[in-house]
Amino acid sequence: MSANRALRLLVLLLPLAAGTARGEALVLSWSSSVYQDAQEVPLAAPEGVACTASSFAVADTGKQRILLFAMKPGGVAAQTGEVKLSQVPVPVRLQADSKGNLLALDGKSHKIVRINPAGAFAGFVDLKGGPAAPAVVAFKLDAGDGLYALDAASGKLLVADAAGAVSRQVELPKGPLFTDLTVVGGTVFAVDGVGATVWSVEREGKAFAQVGASLKDRMSFPAYITSFQGKLLLVDQNGMGIVTLGLDGSYLGRQLALGWNDGFVYYPSQLCFNEGGDAFLADRGNNRVQLFTTK
Amino acid sequence: MNARIALIFTALALAAGPARAADAKKLKLKPGAEGKVCLDCHGSQFDDILKKAFVHTPVKSRDCTGCHNPHASDHGKLLSAEPSQACLACHDVVPAKARSTHKVVAEKGCVGCHDPHASAFKKNLLKGGNDLCAGCHKPIAEQAQKAKFKHKPIEQGGCVACHDPHGSAKAPSLLKSDVPELCVACHKTDKPIFAKQHQGYPVAKARCTSCHDPHGSGKRGMLYENVHPPVAKAMCSQCHEAPTSAQPLRTRQAGVALCRGCHAQKLNEFGEKARTHRPLLDGAACLSCHGPHASKEKGLLKGDMIQVCGSCHADTIRRQAISPTKHAPVKDGQCTACHDPHSAAAPINLKNPDVVESCGQCHDWLKHSSHPMGEKLKDPRNKNLHIQCLSCHRAHGTEFKKLMPFPSTSELCTKCHEQFRR
Repeated sequence: MSANRALRLLVLLLPLAAGTARGEALVLSWSSSVYQDAQEVPLAAPEGVACTASSFAVADTGKQRILLFAMKPGGVAAQTGEVKLSQVPVPVRLQADSKGNLLALDGKSHKIVRINPAGAFAGFVDLKGGPAAPAVVAFKLDAGDGLYALDAASGKLLVADAAGAVSRQVELPKGPLFTDLTVVGGTVFAVDGVGATVWSVEREGKAFAQVGASLKDRMSFPAYITSFQGKLLLVDQNGMGIVTLGLDGSYLGRQLALGWNDGFVYYPSQLCFNEGGDAFLADRGNNRVQLFTTK
Repeated sequence: MNARIALIFTALALAAGPARAADAKKLKLKPGAEGKVCLDCHGSQFDDILKKAFVHTPVKSRDCTGCHNPHASDHGKLLSAEPSQACLACHDVVPAKARSTHKVVAEKGCVGCHDPHASAFKKNLLKGGNDLCAGCHKPIAEQAQKAKFKHKPIEQGGCVACHDPHGSAKAPSLLKSDVPELCVACHKTDKPIFAKQHQGYPVAKARCTSCHDPHGSGKRGMLYENVHPPVAKAMCSQCHEAPTSAQPLRTRQAGVALCRGCHAQKLNEFGEKARTHRPLLDGAACLSCHGPHASKEKGLLKGDMIQVCGSCHADTIRRQAISPTKHAPVKDGQCTACHDPHSAAAPINLKNPDVVESCGQCHDWLKHSSHPMGEKLKDPRNKNLHIQCLSCHRAHGTEFKKLMPFPSTSELCTKCHEQFRR
């Protein structure tokens, strides 16, 4: 083989090898599914899921409740509780804070509700110092329980402390329809469902800037964004899949597909990862939550 | 104006002349071979053509090589260049940086509207006046013709009074200039009658077409057919500050609060359901989808539902566009046949969460002569689902026939009936 030919082959194979390596880092392998509670009552259109190393919570939206589960090595141990609160009739998004509380976004009132570790209502998160009548459509917590919320009414990102005191407001760009956000090292990434674009603003930044180009040719309608192992993961709700991006917006791959069997998705919603690398996906259209490993 | 057009045509002809002469020179043609020789064979074919009222200049001057290569060509009909490119050599009519271009120019080229040899109509058009435009734009042409209150420029100058049929560098919709500049060229905004008709509000710089239909209307003042009651009653100050105030066009309240004044009951009903459509939550609220003054569409929608809903749900509209099987409500832009655009109890704002019942409104046969369906029939693929229409179809279409999510019936059926899989 001539030196030139060998070089050409190497140039061709290097990107393929790199692609495999990137893919291996975040391949979701189905491990189990949660279809029902301990009383064998089936889940109905679950839209939210929050997870820690030892537990996870499911917003069983269609049944107007939140189910709590314990994890054991290798899978789900048991259901540990059910939360049904009049303050959260339509739970759509969940987040677990560092103190064992659960924060739930109500899809009807568009308010965030705090639920204590005992499963009792612990008050609304009153976004003090923010816009007068916010309509929160998405929120996330950072490692220090700092709260980041997308307020559709004012068209702003609201950054608040754990108590809900708003310390920063950043205008969302006009035009995109922001469906969700995530926080990586203080930088907030927000996703535009209509244009399939990702935008970011740094910790002290004053304005969002688009990260990379539109991914409309690779995604239909990203409705959720989270991060894991330094990558962004977008739930393509209408396209039935999960898209992985680098923090620079570079496209790294797509996985999962439309289907009804385990391992397939139908209008997926919230996705979360725990420290152990387990992924939990609220598979709304399939009335279940699916668990995946990432190893 | 006419003198200017004549000057342009003269300049174009002069510019084109040397090019054609150069072609003849390049082909080393004998005198007369530019065209007269062609008629030795094509004469009978051209007998009628040459009798027509408007003959294309090169045809008239027997210069066939102006457009055709007499020996061979890579293009149809021995044209010397791509059809439209051949025309553009003389007719530089499409703006280089167009804000809007005519679909027919892009898709069919010049021959979509012009006969390259001769025609009974001016500018070698295939039909005369507005009839040509009406061939594609039938609804607008009919509206303009039947309207009780007609727009004079259409009657007097036709479509080209406001539109440039080749493309516009200045405005969308092929308009010769943007609104309101185009409108105020005729409608003098400094006249007292203009102020009186607009209740004293300074609308000279407003977008006229947000209330008025330039193609004529059944409503006085050529307002669109669906008029917001305060506008119809000339009660602008019900929503806007007084015309004499410092900011007369400012609304009395911002966003949904203003609409709530009259539509409180409706808005409360929307809020009672579990899922509110996202645009209602945004700052623009009602105005995300509805116009505040007048509209061609029912419910004062800003456009038809394919336009309005498609402005966010473009992926869904696209799915239907590429689907070999069309689903009538989606194709016809009747999104609200299945979805509630304001709020609903079910996900994706379905009006009726019972899919079989919802589809059965149109496909009533499916309830008695179809694959077994219903709540008692579990989906073998997923114990939390029962068999219903969406177990096998996707309502907005797929790249496959019959709205199926898989390429073939066997692939679809064996997802459940695994024993038949080969």
